[in-house]
Amino acid sequence: MRTDTVIIGGGLSGLTCGIALAKRGQRVTIVASGQSTLLFNGGSMDLLGYIDGQAVKAPLDVIAQLPIDHPYRKIGTERIADLADQAKQLLEDAGIMTEGSANANHWRVTPMGVAKPAWLTLKSHVCIDDIEQLPCKRVALMCVRGFFDQPNGMLANGLQQMGFNVEKKEFTTDEITTLRRSPSEMRAVSLSKRLVSNSSLKRVADQINALAADADMMLLPSVLGDEEAFDTLQSMTVKPLRLVATLPPSMAGIRMQKQLQHYFRMLGGNYLMGDSAVSAVIDGDRVVSVTTAKLGDMPLRANNFVLASGSFISRGLTADYERIYEPVMDLDVDADANRDNWTQFGVLNPQAYSRYGVKTDDSLHCIKQGKTISNLHAIGSVLSGHDPIKMADGTGVSLLTALAAAQDILAK
Amino acid sequence: MADQMQLCNISANNFEQCTKCSICTTVCPVAAVTTDYPGPKQAGPDGERYRLKDPAFYDKALKLCLNCKRCEVACPSGVHIADIIQRARMSAGEGKRASLRDTLLANTDLLGTAANLVAPVANATLGLKPTKLVMHSVMSIHKHRTFPAYSRTKFETWYKRHAAKQQDAYSRHVSYFHGCYVNYNFPKLGQDLVKLMNAAGYGVHLLDKEQCCGVALIANGLYKQARRQARVNAANIRQAVSARHHTVLTTSSSCTFNLRDEYPAILDIDTSDVRDNIMLATRFIYNLVDEEKIKLIFKQDYKRRIAYHTACHMQRMGWQIYSIELLRMIPGLDLVELDQECCGISGTYGFKKENYERSQAIGSTLFKLIEDAHVEAVATDCETCKWQIEMSTGLPVENPVSILADALDVEATRRANMISD
Ligand SMILES: Cc1cc2nc3c(=O)[nH]c(=O)nc-3n(C[C@H](O)[C@H](O)[C@H](O)COP(=O)(O)OP(=O)(O)OC[C@H]3O[C@@H](n4cnc5c(N)ncnc54)[C@H](O)[C@@H]3O)c2cc1C
Ligand code: SF4
Ligand code: SF4
Repeated sequence: MRTDTVIIGGGLSGLTCGIALAKRGQRVTIVASGQSTLLFNGGSMDLLGYIDGQAVKAPLDVIAQLPIDHPYRKIGTERIADLADQAKQLLEDAGIMTEGSANANHWRVTPMGVAKPAWLTLKSHVCIDDIEQLPCKRVALMCVRGFFDQPNGMLANGLQQMGFNVEKKEFTTDEITTLRRSPSEMRAVSLSKRLVSNSSLKRVADQINALAADADMMLLPSVLGDEEAFDTLQSMTVKPLRLVATLPPSMAGIRMQKQLQHYFRMLGGNYLMGDSAVSAVIDGDRVVSVTTAKLGDMPLRANNFVLASGSFISRGLTADYERIYEPVMDLDVDADANRDNWTQFGVLNPQAYSRYGVKTDDSLHCIKQGKTISNLHAIGSVLSGHDPIKMADGTGVSLLTALAAAQDILAK
Repeated sequence: MADQMQLCNISANNFEQCTKCSICTTVCPVAAVTTDYPGPKQAGPDGERYRLKDPAFYDKALKLCLNCKRCEVACPSGVHIADIIQRARMSAGEGKRASLRDTLLANTDLLGTAANLVAPVANATLGLKPTKLVMHSVMSIHKHRTFPAYSRTKFETWYKRHAAKQQDAYSRHVSYFHGCYVNYNFPKLGQDLVKLMNAAGYGVHLLDKEQCCGVALIANGLYKQARRQARVNAANIRQAVSARHHTVLTTSSSCTFNLRDEYPAILDIDTSDVRDNIMLATRFIYNLVDEEKIKLIFKQDYKRRIAYHTACHMQRMGWQIYSIELLRMIPGLDLVELDQECCGISGTYGFKKENYERSQAIGSTLFKLIEDAHVEAVATDCETCKWQIEMSTGLPVENPVSILADALDVEATRRANMISD
């Protein structure tokens, strides 16, 4: 089977690259072993949140201060602003409406009630422009009775510490109550399926309106299936309404993943869900084909290949007792040979492994045994040199490297 | 060595690979519509830990699982969630007697043989209001369900009378596992396959002996019988593959998945030696076209807008791409690929009275997608999806093989493949 480009990995980076290529007329096949880390995403994208532990205010201004091996430096400071605009536009074309700009970070609120710098946030979700000057004072935190994927106490405390005056209110409706029969399934997804019809949303609105008192803003856990449900509910509430991220898997992430997949399909892309690339044929400096577990003896051929297989959690990288490696093609990786240096005590401390990834040249081409592979780019979390946790640069790296690689492929 | 034990220490059903990410719970169609089902994570890897300690932890609600495999497809850690659940059901239910209703529903071939003999009567009777009411109350088969119509002539009979003789004239050959649906309900699909393969220069042969693949037997807990039939099928497939060097083609995604993957995973019947030689016809044909071994020429005046629905087991096999890409080769076909959603029928599940409403609730997302696609027909590789979608949307549902055969310019294709008459 031949298409113009084959992409290994169907998360944010693989889909973004696939969409950018399909939009320009390419035939693209994406292979995705399983769902991606986008399902853990609470509704915000980050570009660059921290440098040396300090929150970044204007990401574009500090890109030049990043280490030389950071993916943004490879893309080139000049291109970042342009690619960031394109990324926001691409998300919008897929139906993902966000607020925010690469010129100035805003603040998102995590499910644990921590404010973190962010670049783009879904329009329906809470987003604070300036943490020093809160947009309002009194917040009513609407808690769904029996819903455990939102740690309400911590969230309320966190909001309080930011300077909000928080009132915690608990509510339920008939639909929600029936769900409580199965506590293990009392999750955002199950809630979202029951909060679709106008009448079920009206019941929620009636409940929270009655509890709103003199709040300036109501916060509701992100348990709505789509923008339509949010708009409907918002039109029925007496105070401005915003959603706040729940513990993963989150509705915002599930929705974004679906929207991107749908858009990619609409553009004629092939999305092979649940299949895995297992090996590749490399001839000289080019990849010829990729073999997948399910297509078996009918490999995927293409002119260009893209590795978007994510980090350890997605199995784009693997570790055994001896080494850290890239399992599909055994590409060169940037990782410490000494296992003792991979981690350090304390999960919250900076971990060396989170910066590990495949080695690339300045145009994000992969390298095998010291030799550059001219038709294979790596994008997203599988890349080395960035740190989604300590630098808050994960989604930005995924989006921008995906677009940079697509430009490179199209320019050939 | 000692410190490497962990890498080798993976159980047969790999539940310990679960990272508790809960992603599987977001795609389970059953958990989405009912609180009676604990969901894939709880029913699968989490529950398995308890069941291993004490089988008494078995939860009867596991029978609500559709075995649709969507959870496995979504799991980033490759846990065989649905296999774990099926195996647990099996060890809890083995030896127990299935109800008359379940036995009847599961024996698609028995029911088929009987019905073929009296097809006009059976079709009329199964469709009649009083019959449906009896089925609803006595048999617990939901009254809104229409049984797929039975054909008067079995596919095997048609084949022997009208096709068998001509097949040896071709220089290349394949075998065909037609399945119960083609044999008893819809011989046209088998005829379409013969038409298509013949035009491409391939003779089509039946296995020496074929029994129902047993997918419905497994779903209804009749494991012993399933195993018996599986052994017969495995032996006959092996004969076609090793003695005649045939690839064994299929036109049903559920039969295919069952023959290739459920035989070893659920029934412990090893088919690894022939697995690669069992495949959906669309995969086989796509590959021939891709490698330029055959040409397909389509009618100039063929014009239709059709939506493709990926059946859950088709997605689990990962082969929808072949059917889709072949359909895209038809110039006059405007194909809409639908987002993957479960139709809710899952074989015989949706036929049962106690499941009817759940089944329709599950399918509602898909029905809406189909409605919004504004198409004149739906294509899918699964016959039970076909019944469900036809009943619920009113649109005709066709197998890609039939669409290809209808759109094919037979004469031009035969000429292009240099087949003389
Ligand atoms: C727990 C967690 C929470 C996060 N939360 C946030 C957040 O709130 N905000 C934020 O901005 N960022 C967050 N991030 C970071 C963000 O999710 C990632 O930076 C970004 O989405 C990564 O996208 P990706 O496409 O590069 O990789 P992934 O999302 O990891 O996707 C990789 C894909 O490749 C597939 N794959 C792997 N190997 C193969 C193979 N051999 N064959 C085929 N397919 C393969 C995987 O199945 C998967 O679909 C979070 C990350 C994690 C791990
Ligand atoms: S998706 Fe897989 S790893 Fe995640 S909870 Fe389910 S079984 Fe476990
Ligand atoms: S097989 Fe289907 S119904 Fe069963 S647990 Fe998995 S997703 Fe749910």
